[in-house]
Amino acid sequence: MTIMMPASDQAVLGRRDAIVADLRAIVPGEGVVDSAAEMIPYESDGLMAYRQPPMVVVLPDTTEQVSRVLKYCFEQGIKVVPRGSGTSLSGGALPLADGVLLGLGKFKRIREIDFDNRVVVTEPGVTNLAISQAVAHAGFYYAPDPSSQIACSIGGNVAENSGGVHCLKYGMTTNNVLGCEIVLITGEIIKVGGKSAETSGYDVMGIITGSEGLLGVITEITVRILQKPETARALMVGFAQVEAAGQCVAEIIGAGIIPGGMEMMDKPAIHAAEAFVHAGYPLDVEALLIIELDGPSVEVDELINRVEKIARGCGSTTVQISNSETERNLFWAGRKAAFPAVGRISPDYLCMDGTIPRGALPLVLTRIREFSEKYGLGVANVFHAGDGNLHPLILYDANKPGEMDKAEAFGADILRLCVEVGGVLTGEHGVGIEKRDLMPEMFSDIDLNQQQRLKCAFDAQGLLNPGKVFPTLHRCAELGRVHVHGGRLAFPELPRF
Amino acid sequence: MPGLVPGIHVFFGAWPKKTWMAGTSPAMTNEKAAAVDTLKVRDVKDVEQVVRAALASEQPLEIVGHGSKRAVGQPMATNALLDLSALNAVTSYEPNELIITVEAGAPLNDVKSLIDSKNQQFAFEPMNTSMLLGTPNIGTIGGMIGAGLAGPRRIKAGGARDHLLGAHAVSGFGDSFKAGGRVVKNVTGYDLCKLLAGSWGTLAVMTEVTLKVMPKAESERTLVLRGLDDLAANRAMTAALGSPFDVSGAAHVPNSAFREGLGALVELGSVRQAVTLLRLEGITASAAHRAVSLSAMLASFGTAEIVEDAVSAAIWNSVRDCAPFAAGGALGAWPVWRIVCPPASGGVLGQALARDTGGDVIYDWGGGLIWAALPPSADASAGMLRSRVNAAGGHATLIRAAEPVRRNVDVFHPQAAGLASLSKRVRLSFDPRNILNRGRLTRGAAT
Repeated sequence: MTIMMPASDQAVLGRRDAIVADLRAIVPGEGVVDSAAEMIPYESDGLMAYRQPPMVVVLPDTTEQVSRVLKYCFEQGIKVVPRGSGTSLSGGALPLADGVLLGLGKFKRIREIDFDNRVVVTEPGVTNLAISQAVAHAGFYYAPDPSSQIACSIGGNVAENSGGVHCLKYGMTTNNVLGCEIVLITGEIIKVGGKSAETSGYDVMGIITGSEGLLGVITEITVRILQKPETARALMVGFAQVEAAGQCVAEIIGAGIIPGGMEMMDKPAIHAAEAFVHAGYPLDVEALLIIELDGPSVEVDELINRVEKIARGCGSTTVQISNSETERNLFWAGRKAAFPAVGRISPDYLCMDGTIPRGALPLVLTRIREFSEKYGLGVANVFHAGDGNLHPLILYDANKPGEMDKAEAFGADILRLCVEVGGVLTGEHGVGIEKRDLMPEMFSDIDLNQQQRLKCAFDAQGLLNPGKVFPTLHRCAELGRVHVHGGRLAFPELPRF
Repeated sequence: MPGLVPGIHVFFGAWPKKTWMAGTSPAMTNEKAAAVDTLKVRDVKDVEQVVRAALASEQPLEIVGHGSKRAVGQPMATNALLDLSALNAVTSYEPNELIITVEAGAPLNDVKSLIDSKNQQFAFEPMNTSMLLGTPNIGTIGGMIGAGLAGPRRIKAGGARDHLLGAHAVSGFGDSFKAGGRVVKNVTGYDLCKLLAGSWGTLAVMTEVTLKVMPKAESERTLVLRGLDDLAANRAMTAALGSPFDVSGAAHVPNSAFREGLGALVELGSVRQAVTLLRLEGITASAAHRAVSLSAMLASFGTAEIVEDAVSAAIWNSVRDCAPFAAGGALGAWPVWRIVCPPASGGVLGQALARDTGGDVIYDWGGGLIWAALPPSADASAGMLRSRVNAAGGHATLIRAAEPVRRNVDVFHPQAAGLASLSKRVRLSFDPRNILNRGRLTRGAAT
């Protein structure tokens, strides 16, 4: 399967040896990797169907090196693809044949832990989980918990605005980051925010988060940490129909309850997970809800009762409630292992990521089943029920000719459907290359142009991660033109500012 | 012009000629009112037309909903007012989806009543600026977002920027564009909504926004600790916010030599005694239980009184709205700074500021927000205040001051050169001809 990427700059490729030598002068020794064999691990990220060797891999140690590398690339017109841990599921770190793959994996230090201000200042290559682990001894944690948290980097989390099961109650990455240090393509180092609750002026931190490596390279991040809730308990509820499960979700929210997490699995997902993990999932239900309530134990115990009542009122067929940490973790074990569980029952799978209004779930699942028949491919659905973020897992076999194309077409149909019912193309995995060409489904040309103009403010030459997120590249001068009502300007003799 | 009702003037090619005089005379305000051409738009098409006409004639626009915050920022030199108050509909409200979509000119008070009727709220507790600024109790949703002034619950729920899910707006290119969507989990493209929140109308003219709503808590309790100095109060608030008791408000009102009591804070007793306030929200049994636990944890700071529900809510409204510094109160003529800093440093910063200027401070956000009312001066002590705030790692906005003072002083905190340049490029990417609220954020002609 091929995907169109920006045309390679042959002049740059022609100078490869000189470029590698120049980069070695900035990042010495093994910080520059240019042999084919050693570059293999960098050819792909988590979207493993797509591979592309970069021109060269650069692994800097310091912010100063990052700055000098970017400045060099800027002066030489060389494209740059930043990379954290390479766990992106949307191809955000897919290299370019004529580009530098800039890996931030050596930025592995936590620089400061400040419990009084409830922040951690960290380098971008530190894993998401490592931040929580570093503050656990004082009863703190970092709330956004993408399921790859053991491996994914906090820098990558900022680039993607990653979510996770608990972001329903605690927010996504963007709601938990207070500041960063970012290096622009020119090499300029900019400090944004800090330990204060908000920045002055425009929310530049807010626009950097989720910018998928297109606006700059992040070299330091300040994140909020929270006190761990006193306790957490979970309910596992089975329903004979998806509609009933959806109704239960709506009623829980309608009752003013915001669970710490609320997840749904459909029958194929339940069966795959149970075969893998043996968590005791009911096999005869059409939908399973796992609802976690966390907080002070007085509150949790009361809310468990309220949620149980709502669930039974919606016609649940099975209800289990955790009475210990072990039990709670067991409820989650199947859900957390859903992806690898599906990987056991199918040679390959495509994990989609779209968001829909919660109320549209039964309709969307019905249509997904129709697509499944149309394409002849199985699908298992895992759903962040609390916030409408859907992960259909499309099962296919890449060794069967044409099957991957079919899977991708199936996935694209699902994402178009998400937009059609009032949702969005991606809830937490990012656009990357995977959903790039579907952007016009959600945004008009005017909408896309406005976003591209913002890019021009950061990277007018378009050297940072071109070919990701946006399907067409514009020249900034063209985008910056004011077209006003036929191009007429009044009083042409007046001076313009 | 065809198709427009009387009262809307849209001229393609020429504004009516008004003389505009810069100056520092207080009478200028009246001249300004007389000179201003009000363009009251009915819908998005009107907004596009007005912006395009402004571009064509290179005439900047001042953008207002109800105009409740016109006196915030550098004084602007525009003679055309784009009035969005007629775009006031609630487009849709879906309590079970936790979203509401509203036109930007919708009155904030009306929208709050609507969501309150379903036991929901804007969790970031938007400030009602009428008391501080001395305006009638007006204000629109658009103004709420553009100003981005979040209240006490910011420490837990985030700010306005964390609740703006999507927006339709008209850019300074004169084009309608869409940002974000109607769902929380959305990472499709750049998060332009984050830029719109707190942009004071300088990037785009919002016409419709989708906001996240959250359930209101069933019950609340507020711990009141008395007689703590600013440093001890800061420590108490830090301890509370580092506890597992889920504190949703942490404020400190020092004893004051100047203030009369105003509003609910009077109910707590003499203004000669400092009060430290810690709020716990949730189901009744939980809030009550946690209040006791938190009390016990803070026993070394004194015995806490506990107030409940309606009394507690009134207190936090007063904190949210900076009631002690109200325009109609004893300090109404004093300039007021809104300082944001790392919360654990607030006490040291605020105490020294009050002592050295003879001014008055109030703390919110656990120490991370300081309202500072200072004795009047030509520059509101900007130089000294900003250098101390910078040293503390924070920033300061001169949120209330007489127009001549706002002419002399940078109202918004000057940024480091690199960030300032980047911010300027960001603004130009939305408003290339500097048409929208020109001169509000930065001092200097034609900036």
